[in-house]
This record gives sequence, structure tokens and C-alpha cells, in this order.
Amino acid sequence: MEALLVPSLAKVDRIIQETPDVRTYRLKFKDEVLMEKFTWEPGQFVEFSLLGSGECTFCISSSATRKGYFDCSIKKAGVVTADIHLNIEEGDEVGIRGPYGNWFPVEEIKGRNLLFVGGGIGLAPLRSLIQYCIDNRADYKDFTILYGARTSADLCYKEEIEEWKKNPNLKVVLTIDKPEETWKENVGVVPKILEEVVKPEIVNTKVITCGPPIMIKYTLQSLDRLGFAPKDVITTLEMKMQCGLGKCGRCNIGSTYICKDGPVFTYEQLKALPDEF
Amino acid sequence: MSFSTFVTDKAGLQKLFEAIISKHETYAPVEKFGKYDYKKVSSLKECDPDSPIAMTMSVKPLFFPRSSKIMKYESNSAGTSVSETEDDHLAVPRVILGVKHCDARGLQVLEAVNKWDYIDSDFLKRRADTVIFSSRCDKADTHCFCTSLDYDVENLDAMDVALVNGSGGKIYVQARSEKGENFLKESLDQQSAVGSQQPAMDDIKKQYEAFAASFRLKMDYKDVNEKMSKRFNSPAFEEASRNCVSCNTCAFICPTCHCFKISDVKIKDTGVRYKSYDSCNNVYFTLEAGGHNPRPAKYRRWRQRSMHKFVFYKERFGVNLCVGCGHCAISCPVNISIFDVVNHVASSPLES
Repeated sequence: MEALLVPSLAKVDRIIQETPDVRTYRLKFKDEVLMEKFTWEPGQFVEFSLLGSGECTFCISSSATRKGYFDCSIKKAGVVTADIHLNIEEGDEVGIRGPYGNWFPVEEIKGRNLLFVGGGIGLAPLRSLIQYCIDNRADYKDFTILYGARTSADLCYKEEIEEWKKNPNLKVVLTIDKPEETWKENVGVVPKILEEVVKPEIVNTKVITCGPPIMIKYTLQSLDRLGFAPKDVITTLEMKMQCGLGKCGRCNIGSTYICKDGPVFTYEQLKALPDEF
Repeated sequence: MSFSTFVTDKAGLQKLFEAIISKHETYAPVEKFGKYDYKKVSSLKECDPDSPIAMTMSVKPLFFPRSSKIMKYESNSAGTSVSETEDDHLAVPRVILGVKHCDARGLQVLEAVNKWDYIDSDFLKRRADTVIFSSRCDKADTHCFCTSLDYDVENLDAMDVALVNGSGGKIYVQARSEKGENFLKESLDQQSAVGSQQPAMDDIKKQYEAFAASFRLKMDYKDVNEKMSKRFNSPAFEEASRNCVSCNTCAFICPTCHCFKISDVKIKDTGVRYKSYDSCNNVYFTLEAGGHNPRPAKYRRWRQRSMHKFVFYKERFGVNLCVGCGHCAISCPVNISIFDVVNHVASSPLES
């Protein structure tokens, strides 16, 4: 067991300041053979350690279709993430274990319209799937991304979103909670924009959503009102995890291990779980 | 495979133990300030394989240590290096004497979580390299309820060698696994005090019945499983856990609790990462960095603890995560017993 818990070292190749409190760390394993072999599915996560500070769970926010690196987007929230923001510089080495967990059902959603609904840092796991789907564009039909944040400064991946907007195959809808002088796009919370602006096609559409708990709560209600079946709504759960191996007991909800059976669940599956998340 | 049963008496058993201790790395209950813990011993005088159950710690730490090193690391101007720590001193061939039946069953129950999906090879190797001799339990203690949880005379497979008191001072030494069988045959060759092989099941069963009759606590766990699975929202969890001081002692001494945490200790540029016991009764157990906690109230953590033991683990792995040893009740500073909690919840009114 202890051997399973020993991380491999990765070099921080680049740090991108996404928002005042979110940074994306672009990582490459020190061992080139390992980097070449390392692959993951969209939605999987790694255990990221800043040695001496601790180990945290982050989803991989880039897609394995883009080779040679992987991204973790980290929001300053707790003790270890604050240490990460404060202490890690480009060129530093961190510990990585993984990939762990299940992933978005990339096969099952083939041939469907995809509607991504993200809020704040919740775009990170969706970004992995969005990149994957862009790189396999022929497999999927209409493609809509609805992304919101509290303020325009809190929108992650700004450069990449500009690229998405230029892509004629993608529809990108952005929103912020309150009006700002220079902001020309939508204003209003994500569920409101979903119902009033996006007005999605329901037939043959899969919704993939992730965001802060309060946004998820109201987005699920909106999707219900719009007529989406719970099995067509997919989300990824955030739980405190530690081992990622289905052993340490931290992420149990009922008899489900979120780190092994999740973190990706359909709304239908979530409804069957005890209310402990 | 059928296993051998040998007959001996107290003096013969002592000689057998002495021979084992002289030849093998042996652990047995050692007394300190009235409490017994499993320690490495070099003579039978140091230990008591018949230590009283209520006073004896669980054998779990010999398989799942309270704290173990995952790795060492060092950073300097040349970069960072990570190295695994020294060899596992618990994974050498060894014998443990005087293991309580409930405690041995705890190891059996823990095997399920340690070998699904990712395999905890450390735990499994430590168990594979260990020959477990049971204690001679013949009378229930105040908080014992192992007979209510699938332990019975037909199901002694959790130990490698079971010791059973027979009538007239006889002691049966019975192999219960292939490893136990081979070990016994090897040990008995040079050891004449243990008598010949005898069929003894009738006598053993008679003794077991007397043992089973001595239990104060009894429950029908299947009934408890079913009733608890319908009472997730029962207010009884709040009532049962009100006195809890969240000290986590129950989890640390439990033979089946297996939650752990990973933490770093850093001194200048070097450090060690540890895996150590944790408990779902700990308020920080599920606290997320963003401040959200799915189990902010004590009753929710108690619900997790008791439902995990009697519903969730059973759903997942087919066996209860409780062996009825009663140690949590013995050690609890406010006298909460898992037996009382689950029975209180199971008998609470069903919400409409």
C-alpha cells in the first residue's frame, strides 16, 4: 500500500495566472518515459503534492489528446492550496499520483449534442472534456458552452475562451453575476441565462455541468424545468479525498467510493445517493 | 481440506508455546499498567496468551500500524528526490499468540477492503506471513457480542490455529488453515507434550454452546442491517450520539476501522510523509478546503460510523464491519457502545 502512495516527481513547466485566486500549473513528469506513457480520460483526477505541505486532489484540466504535458488548475482555498500559490514557481518539482477515478462517458455521448454548463473554477474538469471533444469534433454534434463567474476577472482560461469563440463549430455563452462597465456579454446567474438565453435543444442532448454547489443546485432545477432527463445530466462531485485508491474512507457516501465509483455521476445516480455531499 | 486436531493440557500447551517462542519471531499480549498489548516476546514469562479480553488491545496495529512512513523526500539546489522508506519490519514470518477470536475476525473482515481494486499488498503480506494462534475464549465479557456477528464454532477460519478448552482440563489445538496445519505439524514433530490427533468436534461444540450461553448481549444482525438501512434519516442517531466527545478512541482501538490520513512532516529541506489512523468521528475528516463540510454535525458523523459498520460495508463487501469485540464500549469515556447505538436506531420508529 505504502508503495501505491508514493508520488512521481513532475516539473512545473508553466504557471498561468487565470484569475486573482486561480492558477493553472502545467506539469511534465521528470521521467520522460513516464510522461510519454502517462494518459488519462477527461474527468479523472490526480493527487498533487507540494512536498512538506501536503497532498490534495485536483482534476486534470487538460486533455490527453494534447500530448507532452498535463494541467492542474488550482484555486487558493485551504492550507495546502495557499502554500502552493505562495511557494511553487516555474521549474519547481511537485509530486503526482494518478490518474484516479472514473471519467466522463466519452463513448456514450458520441453522436449527441453537448451542452457544457460551468461556473467559476468548475470549468476545470469540463475543459478537459471540451478539449477532448474539440480534438475529436467529428464524433459529436452541436456544441454549446455556457460559462459564468461572479465577475469578469473570475473567468478562467480567458485566452482559450477567445479561441473557442472564434471556432465556428462552437457556441460560447458567457455571463457574469453583476453588470460591469466594459462587459458586453450576458449578465445574470448561470441558471437564468441557461433558461432565458441558451434555451437548449433537449432532444439528443447531454448536459455536462460543474460549478459551486449553489450553482449546481439551481442549474439542476433549471434543467429539470427545461425537461432534461436526469440520466442525460452529468456532473462531477467534489469531495474531500486523500488516498484516491478506495481505502482511506474519506470520500464514502453510503457504500459508494467517490474516488473509485466517481467522481463523475449522472444526476440520476446522484439522486440515489444519501444526502451527504 | 480437513484439518487436524490435537489434544493436550495446560502444561502441554505451555511447552508448545515455549517451543514456538524459542524458534520463531513471536508476538503475544504483554501486560503494562493492567493493560495488555501485543509485543515481541522472547519468553513465555513476559506475556500472557490468556490475557483478559477487556484489557487487551487489538492486534490490528501489527497489520495496519498506527502510523507508518510512506516515503522520505529531500529538496536541494540539485532538485528533489523521493525515496521509499526502509524495509517493512512487520512483514517477516512471525507467530502471534493469544489473539482473541473477534480480533482475528477483524483481520478477515479488513481483507475485503484491502484487496478490492487497488491491492494493499503490505496488509495482505503481513497477514500471509503470520500464523495466528487464537486465545481460549470460554466466557463472554460485559461488552462482548461476537456470537451475534457470524462468529461460531463452525466458522473459525479467521485464525490459523484455534485453541479450544475441552472437558476435564483438555485443550484442543486445532488447525484452521493450511498454513496453520503445516505450522502445527512442523512444530509438533519435536514436541511430544501435545498428544495425538483426535476427532473432537462433539466436545468442542459442547464447550461452544456453554460459551455462547454466557453472553449478556445478543442481537439479530440481519434484522439490524435491514432496519438500519431504512433509517438513514432517523432522529435516533442524534439521541444516541449526544454524549460523544469526538475523541476518536473507538475508531483507533477498533479491530475493523481502517480510515487513515496522509500527512507530511518537514524539517528544513527534508521530510517524511506518514499514513496514520483517522476517524470519521473527526469533525475535520470531510471538511473541504472551500469550507463546505458534508457532515458538519456530530450525529451525521455517528450515522456514518454506525451505518458504515452495519449497512454500507455489508452492501459493498458482503460482511459487517463490526466483529462484536466491545472494545469501543470499554474504552469510551462516556460509555457509548456501538451495540447500543445500532440497536437504538434499529428499534426507532420508522418515518412515514
